Amino acid sequence: MNPYVLSILLMGLGLGTTVTFASSHWLLAWMGLEMNTLAILPLMAQHHHPRAVEAATKYFLIQSAAAATILFASSTNAWLSGQWDIQHITHPLPTVMITIALSLKLGLAPLHAWLPEVVQGLDLTTGLVLSTWQKLAPFALLLQISPEIPLLITSLGLISMLAGGWGGLNHTQLRKVLAYSSVAHLGWMMVVMQFSTSLTALALLMYVIMTTSAFLTFKLLKSTDMNSLAMSWAKTPSVTALAPMMLLSLGGLPPLSGFLPKWLIIQELTKQELGLVATVAALSALLSLFFYLRVCYCLTFTSSPNNLAGVAPWRLESKQISLPLATSTSLSILLLPISPAILSLTLPLF
Amino acid sequence: MSLPKMTRLLSRRPLVSIQQQQLPPSTLVPGRTLIQSEYRRPGKPRDNEPPWQKIKFDLSKGLEGVKKHFTLLKNELTGRWVGPEGKPIIEHMLEQNRVVWEFRGPESLQQWTLSSDREIGGQSEIYMELGRNSTTCLLYGTLCSTPPRDGETRYSGYCTARSKQPLASFDRKKHHDWSSFNCLHLRIRGDGRPWMVNIATETYFSHQKDDIYNYFMYTRGGPYWQDVKIPFSKFFLTHRGRIQDDQHPLWLDKINTIGFTLGDNADGPFQLEIDFIGVCKDYAHTEEFAYEKYKRNPEV
Repeated sequence: MNPYVLSILLMGLGLGTTVTFASSHWLLAWMGLEMNTLAILPLMAQHHHPRAVEAATKYFLIQSAAAATILFASSTNAWLSGQWDIQHITHPLPTVMITIALSLKLGLAPLHAWLPEVVQGLDLTTGLVLSTWQKLAPFALLLQISPEIPLLITSLGLISMLAGGWGGLNHTQLRKVLAYSSVAHLGWMMVVMQFSTSLTALALLMYVIMTTSAFLTFKLLKSTDMNSLAMSWAKTPSVTALAPMMLLSLGGLPPLSGFLPKWLIIQELTKQELGLVATVAALSALLSLFFYLRVCYCLTFTSSPNNLAGVAPWRLESKQISLPLATSTSLSILLLPISPAILSLTLPLF
Repeated sequence: MSLPKMTRLLSRRPLVSIQQQQLPPSTLVPGRTLIQSEYRRPGKPRDNEPPWQKIKFDLSKGLEGVKKHFTLLKNELTGRWVGPEGKPIIEHMLEQNRVVWEFRGPESLQQWTLSSDREIGGQSEIYMELGRNSTTCLLYGTLCSTPPRDGETRYSGYCTARSKQPLASFDRKKHHDWSSFNCLHLRIRGDGRPWMVNIATETYFSHQKDDIYNYFMYTRGGPYWQDVKIPFSKFFLTHRGRIQDDQHPLWLDKINTIGFTLGDNADGPFQLEIDFIGVCKDYAHTEEFAYEKYKRNPEV
């Protein structure tokens, strides 16, 4: 893509999220969300492959529908309560509508059906942007309105965890697996939102780090399905050794970083006397862990001298910058021992 | 001083006469058949029966349908516990060959649809039947490139056999997932004619419904069977038979149908015997896409 056009689109993405973060008026927040949507569409369709164009179209339709619902709900709230302030949305009807619209934007179950197909049609870089950056703005809005509708938020969270776990079970396409992983992680963030917004933010931060590591790993290995992933030992053995750690961190296993948000969330839910919710959450993590383990298996236990699963790769030097991958992989593996420091840094912020 | 001459406007009469011109009956389209998918084969009488009158209620057929669909649903749900596509993951990963269509009984012919230019008024014919010992499929017929006499078609002469879309329970669309493979493997015995293999993938927009990926298949004639392996990287994108400038590799995760087309402009009988159609993984084939993607309007 033309570097000027690319820079304008990336600035548009950044500006959209920043505008939504900084807004206290619903219309400004809506505008930020629309800027985000419109800026990413050319990035999604840049390769002009029919599947990429399909993904861009589906994304546009979904996000537009959600944005229209947000606009309608905020107008209804302004009509009923006389104000446009984001944090003062009190009437249940617009609150529920906005929550559902933001869930559609994020890809929370039961409104997640679009996410795997859209991520599957994109290249890995754009999929990374979609799974990480595009979640920030709607989340910022949800954090502000969550105290009003705790039951709905908790239900959406639980359903997302289960749908994300079960949905990702039988896929061999890595992008779809990561899409369902996104749904499951969003569920974890939602379930604790009403009790501790700082834990939600921490979970979101950890999710962004781990997902970035996953996408960059698959991009370096040029793998989009499990068979091509099985040949990664021949491409970069060091990444092949570290990638299972990163995937198990996504699955929430100690002593890796991904355990931190899950542990704290279960602890918070237990303190709030929601033992059943905590149990269901912990059990749903097993479903997600199964497909992460399956990807780890394909990555590591199918190497030579077993029968090869994929075609022999060309051993070309990769031009991908290694710093983001190295940083995100290190952070996604090694952060658990410094969790008190992380908590003391993040808790006061949100 | 005389006034300037006003140019005379055309009288309404020629316009009126154009409107009142009698159009031939075949071009008069009733309002109901303006839907794109409804196609009336030339020569077939127009069907004006409303859809609710075409349903034939039959209890045994209904029960058979219920049994078939619920069995398929049960298999889908139980297969989910085993692995992707009902097979364990290790089997999915180590699979090197898969036979997708083989012709071992009359029911295998039901998975195919035949078509020729007879639908547009031509004279080609194509038939499909089981070969010797019911182990192969024989496609035979006659190709005739005489164009139909409708005043607008200039070229004709094609015959094609296309597989039907696979369906899951309750007639939901299913797709073939060939992402573990990279070659199409056919065992055929032809008569020396060049055929074209057409693969149709799942599309989204209605204007993409005629997007097909094609490649050539040259038969060698003779009594010996021919193993044809065509890498999927060689398939090029066409729309309604026209090769597109903007080429894309074939994505193998959602294949709908495969077809064989004969249109070599050589009038006369033809035969093609197919033993099986399968996919295989050639470990030495690393090409991702055989064609360069040229920019249509490159910057100078």
